[in-house]
Amino acid sequence: MSKVLEINKLNYKKNNKLILNDINLSLDNGKIIGLLGANGAGKTTLMRLITGVNAKSSGQISVAGVENKAARKSCVSATYSLDGFSKSFGEKNAKVRDVLKFYIDIYPDFSFEKYQEMAKYLEISCDDKLVDLSTGTKEKLVIALTLARQVPLYLLDEPLNGVDIMARKKIIKSIIQWKGDDSTIIISSHYVKEISSLLDDVVILKDQKVYQVSPVEEIQSKYHLGIEEYYEKVYEGGLNDE
Amino acid sequence: MMEYIDNIPIYLQIKDILYRKIISNQYELGSQLPSVRQLAVQFSANSNTVQKSLKEMTEEDVVIPQRGKGNFVTEDTGIVEKLKTHIVTEMFDATYDKLHSLNMNDTEIMNSFNNYVKQREVNHEQGIGN
Repeated sequence: MSKVLEINKLNYKKNNKLILNDINLSLDNGKIIGLLGANGAGKTTLMRLITGVNAKSSGQISVAGVENKAARKSCVSATYSLDGFSKSFGEKNAKVRDVLKFYIDIYPDFSFEKYQEMAKYLEISCDDKLVDLSTGTKEKLVIALTLARQVPLYLLDEPLNGVDIMARKKIIKSIIQWKGDDSTIIISSHYVKEISSLLDDVVILKDQKVYQVSPVEEIQSKYHLGIEEYYEKVYEGGLNDE
Repeated sequence: MMEYIDNIPIYLQIKDILYRKIISNQYELGSQLPSVRQLAVQFSANSNTVQKSLKEMTEEDVVIPQRGKGNFVTEDTGIVEKLKTHIVTEMFDATYDKLHSLNMNDTEIMNSFNNYVKQREVNHEQGIGN
């Protein structure tokens, strides 16, 4: 299996405070990986660094073998908040179709066909104004836009936050339906139980470090724990390795 | 959405559900199973996980993959019969052990089970749901 993501000795400081300390991570192709960690553990920061957004860090990150920051951007599709669009298009008038057009213009890897399939399933209308969208529909739109790009790696940062149960189910199903076999998805969520059937592996961030990459199946068969319990145990430091 | 038991590997739980569907003839002998992706969406589970369930079912000769066509349920009634015995035994194992731990002997267990079945029939006739 080839590696979709390799991180070596990654350090990141913000305002002189160490956020990520000597992160090493290596992920295989074709999987769905849960990124878990308490608020402020650095999940979003790590995702931004992988995308190549954050400026100053030391260490190496390569996505599908590509290390160069600018080139890496075409290998990663990450969820972005829609707030920026509402502002740049004028608060009142921005419609879903404007955002869609922006994505098509900016990303050569954007598949309109794939977007349409997802938009139909998720019941997103092109004519709706962004300001009128419910939190659930906004997240659905973000997911459809993010997954419609055809890239090796997808980063979904809290795609279920503030979303009602029905919309959460639909988002989860669309991730399963539209994930390409060879692509990899990293997903961070506080709804650990709900996404657990979705995941191959979990990566836990704790004390500025990656705790370890654990296959979900191993957590269940070796420790007889659910992902949520395992995660809590890791945080409490109470996991004894047999 | 599926309700999974948190601390049991999902592929085993999916395998169990598929086996029950085959035994109860919801998936008929010799019929084609939905694609991996369809099953994954249906079970809200990862495709790799569904793949693993099907792999084990193939190794146990219950599922027969046909190149380029997909996965089919075996046509061999003997295999499905064996599967049924296995699952029924598993369920009885648990119940039998629990009843034994209440100091019931085999005769008492048989009698109470007979009574239970009769009571269920009466309930059913009277339209009392259970």
